[in-house]
Amino acid sequence: MLRAVREIEGGIKLSLNAAGRLPMLRKPPILESFLRQVYFTGVTASTGVVLRASALGVLIIAITMDVLDADVDMAVKILLLVVFREIGPLAAAVVVILRSGTAMSAEMAMMRISGQTRALRYLNINLYDYLVVPRVAGVMVATTALTFYVQALAVAGGLLFSPFIIEASFMELASRLFELFSPIDFYYSIIKSLLFGFAIAACCCYHGLNPPDLTQNAVPKVVTRAVTQCAMLVLTINAVFAYIVFGILFFGLVKATV
Amino acid sequence: MSAVLTETRAPQTAPRMALRYVRHGQREIAIAVPVGSVRRIDLPDRETKSAFVTAVLKARCEDGEELELFGQPVKDISGNARAKLRAQVGALSPIVGLINNLNAWENISLPAAYHGKPSLAEVAAITQEVLDTFGIEPRAYLGRVPDELGKLERKIAAFARLMIAGPELAIIESLDDGLSRAECARVAGFEQEYRRRHPGGTLIFVDIREE
Repeated sequence: MLRAVREIEGGIKLSLNAAGRLPMLRKPPILESFLRQVYFTGVTASTGVVLRASALGVLIIAITMDVLDADVDMAVKILLLVVFREIGPLAAAVVVILRSGTAMSAEMAMMRISGQTRALRYLNINLYDYLVVPRVAGVMVATTALTFYVQALAVAGGLLFSPFIIEASFMELASRLFELFSPIDFYYSIIKSLLFGFAIAACCCYHGLNPPDLTQNAVPKVVTRAVTQCAMLVLTINAVFAYIVFGILFFGLVKATV
Repeated sequence: MSAVLTETRAPQTAPRMALRYVRHGQREIAIAVPVGSVRRIDLPDRETKSAFVTAVLKARCEDGEELELFGQPVKDISGNARAKLRAQVGALSPIVGLINNLNAWENISLPAAYHGKPSLAEVAAITQEVLDTFGIEPRAYLGRVPDELGKLERKIAAFARLMIAGPELAIIESLDDGLSRAECARVAGFEQEYRRRHPGGTLIFVDIREE
């Protein structure tokens, strides 16, 4: 219990510190580290995501059609509400956690254990500036980009392959989708994926910099803890954010589009 | 006194001390190094050596220790004063090792790039000179990460980084550690290179005394 409280407190402190130091991204080595993080989290992940994302859209459409005996309207609504709003950002977050969250927490734990973080301190380099800020900002940007990528592919895949399952043309499905689509879906995705990215990076950095002990055995423990907590955080943010946006904040306003 | 001073070459006009360190306990240690001198210090064990180097680099002493840097006692000084003292001190030590996911050039230039001084052009020039002095071909060397470098090459990268920082007080810890006889002869040039760049600087070689 005490550890959980300490972790929450530490995570919040780290998050606030990282958010406050974002202007440090102007410094050349930090900017370079940020770009490297965007590349590893976003660009390298995108190639493997292509097929899986389009398969996701097709699968959801196919199952829905089959189980609910859905018509065009229902199929498009599900594509927008489920795939675009919820599964797209969640799928991107899962990819980021599994690919970058694990790597980031292990790398930082290794740096801490092998004394590299201490070396940085002796060189008068702030750990938040050099290690945390570029990772947090990089993962936020990459998660947002990956989210759009997954959404675009899943929706396009759904639209392209649905005509083989239901009696509807691609144009019919597409025009209905554009009718239903509202800018709020777009902003909702951006803010949510930025939050996901921030939570994932901050959680992994916190655990990486605070291993349970300074031995090699701590690395797997750090990774397990970081991944588990990242997944829980992302699910919590998803639920709370959906409730705030569609339940309280824009109640009635958003309802019109669905 | 357990600290063994094997060699001292202090200039005659050295009015103040660069470092004064005392460690109380079973093995009493007392070290005083005048500004501008080169001194070799052999300490009785690894723990004492580590405590000494850490205290100097942090400009902070633990219970049972006393430390003065450039005539200023480090106990109970403000954070700013401590940061100023720390900026005057540098080390070539396993404590201040290289960063594993950066190549040699990134490791050498990292502090300068972060602090914004000296300029990267100056960093490149100093690095080139240091590598030339030790007969290393920069093109092949600078792109490699620490795991791809030998012990001597890693020490040279750390030394180049130290020369760029240009500390008034430099500590070189266990210089010969893990090096062959031929490599030891090459790193012996560190002292001359430091002296050439920082004629008024203080250089301390720290090692463990062989019983």
